[in-house]
Amino acid sequence: MWEGVRRNNLAGTLSVVGGLLLWEIISRFLVANALFLAAPSQIVNAIYELTLSGEMERHVAISAAEFAIGYVIASVLGIAIGFGMANSPSFKQAMQPWISGLYATPTIALAPLFILWLGIGIWSKVLVVIFLVLFPVTINTEAGLRTTSERLIEMLRSFGATQQQIFFKVSLPSALPFILAGLKLGIGRGLIGVVVAELFGSRAGLGRLISQSADAFNMPELFAGVIVLAVAGIAMTAAFTSIERRLVPWTRD
Amino acid sequence: MTRKVEVTGLNKWFGDLEALRGIALEVERGEFISVVGPSGCGKTTFLRIVAGLEPASSGTVIIDGRVVTKPGNDRGFVFQTDNLLPWRTVLSNAMIGPEVGGRTGPEEKRRTLDLLKLVGLDGFENYYPRQLSGGMRQRVNLARALAIDPEVLLMDEPFASLDAQTREIMQTELLRIWEQGRKTVLFVTHQIDEAVFLSDRVLVFARRPGRLQECVEIKLPRPRSLGIKRTPEFVAYVDHIWRLIEDDVRTAVIHEHV
Repeated sequence: MWEGVRRNNLAGTLSVVGGLLLWEIISRFLVANALFLAAPSQIVNAIYELTLSGEMERHVAISAAEFAIGYVIASVLGIAIGFGMANSPSFKQAMQPWISGLYATPTIALAPLFILWLGIGIWSKVLVVIFLVLFPVTINTEAGLRTTSERLIEMLRSFGATQQQIFFKVSLPSALPFILAGLKLGIGRGLIGVVVAELFGSRAGLGRLISQSADAFNMPELFAGVIVLAVAGIAMTAAFTSIERRLVPWTRD
Repeated sequence: MTRKVEVTGLNKWFGDLEALRGIALEVERGEFISVVGPSGCGKTTFLRIVAGLEPASSGTVIIDGRVVTKPGNDRGFVFQTDNLLPWRTVLSNAMIGPEVGGRTGPEEKRRTLDLLKLVGLDGFENYYPRQLSGGMRQRVNLARALAIDPEVLLMDEPFASLDAQTREIMQTELLRIWEQGRKTVLFVTHQIDEAVFLSDRVLVFARRPGRLQECVEIKLPRPRSLGIKRTPEFVAYVDHIWRLIEDDVRTAVIHEHV
C-alpha cells in the first residue's frame, strides 16, 4: 500500500513540475508577450511583491472574511433546514420547490442585484456565498438523515430507545458523512461565489485584484490572484478531507 | 416449571392480508422453542409481535404476567442482519442496550466484556464491525441482545446469512451459551435441521394464513453435539417436519416465482 502511495505522489509531483516547466517555456519563448501570459517565475515574483507591499494581505483578508462569514452562516442554516426537512414532511414539502429551484439557478448571476441592494462592501459577497453554499449543505443533510438505515433504527427501537435516542445514536452519526460531503462541496462553490461577486464590483478582495490586474494588462498579478485562490481551495479541501477521515473513519475504504 | 411466555388468540392483518391467525402458545422458563415454516407463514411477524416491534391486530402476548405493548428490556432481539453501528467498536455496539436504558457504569462494561468472551470475541472489543467476518458480527449481535440480561431471547434467522460451515459452528456455540444461562429462547428459522438440533419444541407454521400447524416435541438428550444430526432419531424428526410443510413450501416457491 505504501508503495502505491509513494508512486502516486511521485507521478503527481513529476506532473506538476513538468507542467510548470512547460508553462515557463511556452510563456517565455513561444508566446513571449507579457500581455497574454505570465510565466510561473513572474507570478511567484508578483506574489512576493504584492505580499511585501501589504497589498496581498489586504485582498486576502477581505475575501477570507467574506468567505468565512458566508460559509459559516450557510452551514449552520443549511444543516438546520436539512434537519427540519428530514423531521417534518410538511416543512419539507414547503421548502422543496425553493431548494430545488434555487439550487439549479445560477444564483451567482444575482450578484449585481445583491450589490445594488447591499452596496459594494463585503455583505453583498457574503450573500452570494450563502446562496451558493446553503443548498448543497441542506440537500445533503436532508438526504443523509432520510437515508438512515431502517434496520439500525429498528435495532435501537428493540431496546426501547426514545425518538431522541434514535436521533442522536443512529440518525445523526449515519448522516454525518453526507453532511460533511455537503460542506466540502460548499468550499469550492463558496470560493467561486466570493471571486465572481467581487468581479462585479468591490473595493478589495482577490476578485478585485484579478479584475484590476486584467484592466491594467498586468498578467503576473492577475495570475497571482488566481494562484492564491487555487491554493486556498486546495488547502481547505485537503484540511477538510483529513477532518472527515478523523470524524467518520467508518466510511474509509 | 413456571410459565414465561403466554400467547393467546393472536391475529395479525396487513391491510387485506391475513398474516397470522389464532396463534396460541405457552412457553416454560428456560425452554428453547423454534419456529419453522415456509416463507410467508408469518413466523418473523410472530416474533416481531412478541418483541413489541409490531402491534397485533388482536390477541395478547404476556411475558412474566405483563402484556406486551412495546419493546422492553425483558426481551433481547437478535436480528437476521447484524445491524451493528459501523461507527462503534464491538464493545460499544454490544453495550447499546444498557446504554439506551441509561446504564453505562463500569459494572455494565465488565458484564459486557464477559459476554463478549462468552461468545468468543475475547480481544476483539476495540475492533470495528468492518474488520470482522460475518460470523463474528453475528456473535456481537448475540452479545448485544444478551447484554441487557433479557428474560426471553428472540432470534430471527440469525444464522441465515452465514455460510453452511459457520452456521453449524454457530449452532453449537449458541447451545453452549444457552446451557450456561438457560434463557428462554424463541428462535425463528427456515432450516428444519437447525430447529431440531437446537430446540425442546419446534413450532411448525403453515401459510395463508399463517397459523400454528403442529408443535413437535424434540426428545433428544442434551447437551447435544453436531454428531447427533446423523442419528436416526434426528433424521426422523427432520423428515416428519419436512413432510408437514412440504406442500406449503412448494406453493410458496411457485408463488414467489410467478
